[in-house]
Amino acid sequence: MAVDTQRVEDFKLDKEPYYLPVGNEVELFEAAYNAHLPVMLKGPTGCGKTRFVEHMSWRLSRTLVTVACHEDLTASDLVGKYTLRGDETVWQDGPLTIAVKSGGIAYLDEVVEARKDTTVVIHPLTDDRRILPLEKKGEIVQAPDDFQLVISYNPGYQSVLKDLKHSTKQRFVALDFDYPSAELEEEIVRNEAGVDAETAARLVKIAEKVRNLRQHGLEEGVSTRLLVYAGQLIGKDIDPVAACQATICKPITDDQDMQRSIVEIVATQF
Amino acid sequence: MSFGPSVGNVGMYIAREMLASVPEEDRPRYLRLVEEIAELKYQLGVEVARQLPRLLAEHDTDLVQTYLDQVKSVAASGWKSSVEVAKQLPDLYDAPDPAMATAYVDIVTEATAGPAEADEDTKLLASELEDLEREIREMEPKIQRAQEIKSHLAAKDRRDETRRKHAVDLAAALPSVLARLRPKYRPVFLMEINRVAAADSEAALEAADTLLDLLNGERLSAEGAEEWVRRGLDVLERNKEVGRGYFRLGSKYALDVVEELHEGLALKDVARVLKLYATALCGRDVAIRSTLETYAIEAFGSDHVVLPPDMRYFEDDDTNFTAYKVATAHGAGRIEFGTYDFRIDEIPDLVGGLEARYGGSL
Repeated sequence: MAVDTQRVEDFKLDKEPYYLPVGNEVELFEAAYNAHLPVMLKGPTGCGKTRFVEHMSWRLSRTLVTVACHEDLTASDLVGKYTLRGDETVWQDGPLTIAVKSGGIAYLDEVVEARKDTTVVIHPLTDDRRILPLEKKGEIVQAPDDFQLVISYNPGYQSVLKDLKHSTKQRFVALDFDYPSAELEEEIVRNEAGVDAETAARLVKIAEKVRNLRQHGLEEGVSTRLLVYAGQLIGKDIDPVAACQATICKPITDDQDMQRSIVEIVATQF
Repeated sequence: MSFGPSVGNVGMYIAREMLASVPEEDRPRYLRLVEEIAELKYQLGVEVARQLPRLLAEHDTDLVQTYLDQVKSVAASGWKSSVEVAKQLPDLYDAPDPAMATAYVDIVTEATAGPAEADEDTKLLASELEDLEREIREMEPKIQRAQEIKSHLAAKDRRDETRRKHAVDLAAALPSVLARLRPKYRPVFLMEINRVAAADSEAALEAADTLLDLLNGERLSAEGAEEWVRRGLDVLERNKEVGRGYFRLGSKYALDVVEELHEGLALKDVARVLKLYATALCGRDVAIRSTLETYAIEAFGSDHVVLPPDMRYFEDDDTNFTAYKVATAHGAGRIEFGTYDFRIDEIPDLVGGLEARYGGSL
């Protein structure tokens, strides 16, 4: 089966990604974009940060280059490097450079995971200079007006060793994300998973109870994404308790007691 | 006596040169005579062995016999005197007056033997002493046995005294223990403590306290209590101290037996799951407490659910867990909706609040 692929600089969403605004985040993002301000999305995993960026990319008709940051990600990986191609040494733009040149949205997901030197590279892009120095190549790329840098990170994961420096944090417009209210979350689950309203309500009720266990052994509560997964399995005729075990209990904890207590919570709804 | 291979062992050593001085034909006789004297006393034999060669050299058989007879007669009164006589007598035989030797022997014999009456008394006393010593020797095992019995009885007395002391302690403690015991457990408690008391009063004192907690705390059923005591009595029979430790739950074995005999689902095994369950349900940090801990509950505040230390309403653990879960959910509901939030000292504010909410006065 043939697979369609696109170059990253050409990646543009042609279909509206489902996103239900929780507050004024859409307006804030649009305002920041128009003012050429970088944006930082903060929030727990699975609460809709990436989906929001996709939605805004579609809404603003901009290409979207997403980089999933990790601890081995170097500045060269991000901006570009010389590579051997046949008998030649050629320069290869990194994804950030591609995004800057293409004038789209560059989304650095979980930026705090990247090495410290990597985060410093983005500083010139985030102030009024809006430039990206390519030191190895001896070039400076000026970001066009329609370029925007977006980063995300999860404050719940941070520690002394892993946190964004203040010199980085204070360059961004920050938008806080959290799990949506029960009413909105039900609507999201219903729409995304294709389940009926009652099932969606039960799943959200389970999430609400399980989220009470944060600070009691759970690092994070159940994400909306996992509720959607659970709904999708239920929609495939999987027993609701088994679906919740597979998507809610097991992914969020390895603690046997915790898993059992979550199963009991699930059992109160299904 | 030894003198090389040809002489043989006749009971004492005779120097080679001494035998060499005896005419060869007289040597067997010499050795026989020395051996005969040596049988009376070894030292006397040595002296006679020294003197005899000189007498034998004279080839006067009568003289030799006279010598031996006189030495023997003195030896009958005292062997030390006879050794000296054996030494001096050959010289006296050479004296001009042959009667001198005889007179010498008589004097020494008399001097050694002493008065005749005294000798008789001595014999009597010696005989009596011998009898007494024999009797004492015969009595020794009896004396030893008597000491053993005395020690045994003293130890028993001490044990009895200790036992009576602990019986008094038991008598003082038992009423309050019985007052705290749940009525349904009284029959089995009394029967089992009676069994332990018959075996050891100190152990009974320990068992009374322990069994009270085990039964009241529902950690053992009546049947379990019987079995727990039976095994403890086995231990007690082998070793009192270890047995007492068992009855105060001071040994791993005692705890293992309780664990083994325990019926139903233990709260401690599911307390964390129930705590998380309750915390998730009501959204507040909930503590799970056993009814055994009620003395400390005030210190924990109101966010706790009190449950029995074990659940044994049903045969299987799953259903017993469901029973725990139902009880926990009720407790969590009370916490979530504020059942325990009411405080007497808040009544004035409460009344004010209600008046403001519903109007008028209450």
